[in-house]
Amino acid sequence: MSARSFRSVFMVASCATAALGCYLVSLRVASERAALEDVESRIVLAQRDMRVLQTEIGTRGRLSQLERWNAGAFALSAPAADQFLKGSFELARLAQPEHKVDFQAPVVLAAAPALARTPSLGAPDTDDSGTSPSALLHEASLKTETREVPARRVATLPLAIAKSTEKSATAAKSAKSLSAEKPGLAAAHSAAPRLAEQSKTPAKISPKKSVDKAAVVTAKPLTKKVEVAKVDPLAPLPAKHSGNSKETTAKR
Amino acid sequence: MNAPSPALVAQRPERLRLVGQRRQLLAVMHQRLMFGMVVYAGIVVLIALRILYLAAFGDHAGRKEGVSALIPSRGDIVDRNGDPLARTIDAWTIAVHPNKVIGDKLELARRLAQLMPEQSEEQYFALLRSDKTFAYLRRRASPALVEAVNAIGEPGLAIEREPDRLYPQTSLAAHVLGYTDIDGHGVAGMERAFDEHLSNPATRGDPLVLSIDSRVQQALEHELMSAMAKFSAIGAAGVVMDVHTGEVLAMTSLPEINPNAPGAATPDARFNRATQGVYELGSTFKPFTVAMAMDSGVIKSFGQQYNCPNALPAYGHIIHDTHPFGRICTVAEIMEESSNIGTAQIADQLGKERQKYWLGKMGFLGPVPIELKERSRALTPGSRWGPFETMTIGFGQGIAVAPLQLAMGYATLFNGGVYHPPTLLKIDRSHPLPPGKRVFSEDTSYKMRALLRLVVMKGTGRKADAPGYRVGGKTGTAQKLINGRYSQTINITSFAGVFPMDDPRYVIIAMLDEPKATKDTYGFTTAGWNVAPVVSGTISRIAPMLGVQPDMNREPDMSQVLPFVQNAKQDTKKD
Repeated sequence: MSARSFRSVFMVASCATAALGCYLVSLRVASERAALEDVESRIVLAQRDMRVLQTEIGTRGRLSQLERWNAGAFALSAPAADQFLKGSFELARLAQPEHKVDFQAPVVLAAAPALARTPSLGAPDTDDSGTSPSALLHEASLKTETREVPARRVATLPLAIAKSTEKSATAAKSAKSLSAEKPGLAAAHSAAPRLAEQSKTPAKISPKKSVDKAAVVTAKPLTKKVEVAKVDPLAPLPAKHSGNSKETTAKR
Repeated sequence: MNAPSPALVAQRPERLRLVGQRRQLLAVMHQRLMFGMVVYAGIVVLIALRILYLAAFGDHAGRKEGVSALIPSRGDIVDRNGDPLARTIDAWTIAVHPNKVIGDKLELARRLAQLMPEQSEEQYFALLRSDKTFAYLRRRASPALVEAVNAIGEPGLAIEREPDRLYPQTSLAAHVLGYTDIDGHGVAGMERAFDEHLSNPATRGDPLVLSIDSRVQQALEHELMSAMAKFSAIGAAGVVMDVHTGEVLAMTSLPEINPNAPGAATPDARFNRATQGVYELGSTFKPFTVAMAMDSGVIKSFGQQYNCPNALPAYGHIIHDTHPFGRICTVAEIMEESSNIGTAQIADQLGKERQKYWLGKMGFLGPVPIELKERSRALTPGSRWGPFETMTIGFGQGIAVAPLQLAMGYATLFNGGVYHPPTLLKIDRSHPLPPGKRVFSEDTSYKMRALLRLVVMKGTGRKADAPGYRVGGKTGTAQKLINGRYSQTINITSFAGVFPMDDPRYVIIAMLDEPKATKDTYGFTTAGWNVAPVVSGTISRIAPMLGVQPDMNREPDMSQVLPFVQNAKQDTKKD
């Protein structure tokens, strides 16, 4: 009964609610749109500011001004043709490390006449009287080396020098200088007794002492012998041998 | 309404009538009421609908008009890399409304004269006392000045912003860009040529992209300017062009102008020497003669021999060489040492008709084909074009062309022989490359490479060589025509270069107007001494930017020319 009599009221109320809802949706849309427009206009304003700033920077840093600085203040000029590299290989060539020629250059010279004796190194026992140091060396190295005896010995050279303390380095130098002064067999002979004494002691001590030190000490006699053994082809390949020399020192 | 009647009997018919009247009246009233109601309801409905419409689709009150996109009042001009060359900014303008000034006019005039000393105090006072309603005091005022004027606090002073054209790179490529008048309409250069495009609201939103590369332009301008100062030349011009597309990467004319203040420029500075000026460019023309002769079959090989005496009498005139051979020489030698006598004989063999045909095909007989309005057309002998003129044109005298036309000719000769009209607009999707037309055969174009490389390697253009960039080219020293006579001392020197010569990509033209001799040049004013180093310096700067790899081991195929050159003579003093 009541429902029927209030039906029209309900109808009106529901219509009003629906209309209100629609209006609210529309209002919401309008406000969203307004906010969007606000953002858009702010973007445009920011773009305008950026444009102004870009223009200012571009004007202050104009090419003629840069030219004035580059040519006047910094005295820059165009790169020459040989300053361009064609690829990573040419670039890597520029970064190639300098090998320590100051240590090895005299060695090669001194060893050149001694080349005749190199095969004798391969057979240590059959040496003459003058090759006593080489014989000693072979005792030390025979344990590890099988074939490339001279190569490995040389390999130990740069590392040994690098690792050794200043003392040992100087010792090595003195030995070299000796050999350099008296080239050839004479040098080998004169150096022989001293080297023999030196090399004897480490041979005894080496098993007891640490690996590094042993290597260092053995290096002293080695340096000279090695130089004698390998004449030239080894000099320009220090990087390759550093790996080998590590192995050998570790083994020793 | 009716008076009460005493007799009831007689009332009935009256009443009946009355009822009928009332009915009618009521009906009319109802009708009118209805009508009124409908009208009102209609209005209400209309308003309601409008409100609904506005609520749904309308704009809100706070909407800002015209900021939805950033469209400048005049379009930007940018270079091929997008760097702005011309922009419109909002500049401050200071103006005065003399009739609205309420403060002390004398005091105001004094203050204005202090701040803006371009007018005196009396002039300001006279302006303020005049009955003008508006007068500009300063356009494009600095912010500091605006602040100071604002601090005066006079309501009669108007400080406003108005769009103003700014060229951020100042004088860079000024002759290409041109400038605008105070109302923002282009009056020179690309501003003038594309005024419609730049000011039309539909198109001004997109910048106008030029083919100019501002770095190349700067390098060319700098090198030319220093050469111009060094040799005290009265003017200079330069062009760098892409041989395959005809795009002008740099074009300059010196003395320069500052388009930000075009009023300060002299008429001489406003003159665009690269497109408006036509010059007899001398020996730079010789490669065209040789190429024409090769394509026509007159020259079979660079070893073909011509008699080159010390002076050649021809058609009642005598042709000289600055450094004569005095013997028989080959085409390669004629080019290497830039012999007028040799080239004249080649041109004579070629003949007038064929020469005219080729020059027309290369675009040398018409106006300079470029977008700029500041352009002229080549000067030719016209009706006087006889056999002797054919000979002189063969070595570059008697025909005057613009430097840009020369660049165009070299581009045609070295891109495989195809002519593309030069353009200042970047070639891209919106501006595709128009189809070219063949002028020279590919074979001729290929063979000419070695010939011009020879000139730079061994001949007159040695100072133009940029090591590693395989520069080829030709020097040209032309006597200037002064009062109808060729001057013996005043020259126009030019150099037309192409690089890299083993696969030509760019052509460069440099020209100096009236260079003077210096100590460095041992008294010479020929092109090999003054303008060739400009080309060398510019190429070594721009070639890496343009992606040309220097390579000391590459050269064009020199076997075409080297066998035909005697190395006895080493002389750079002539062209």
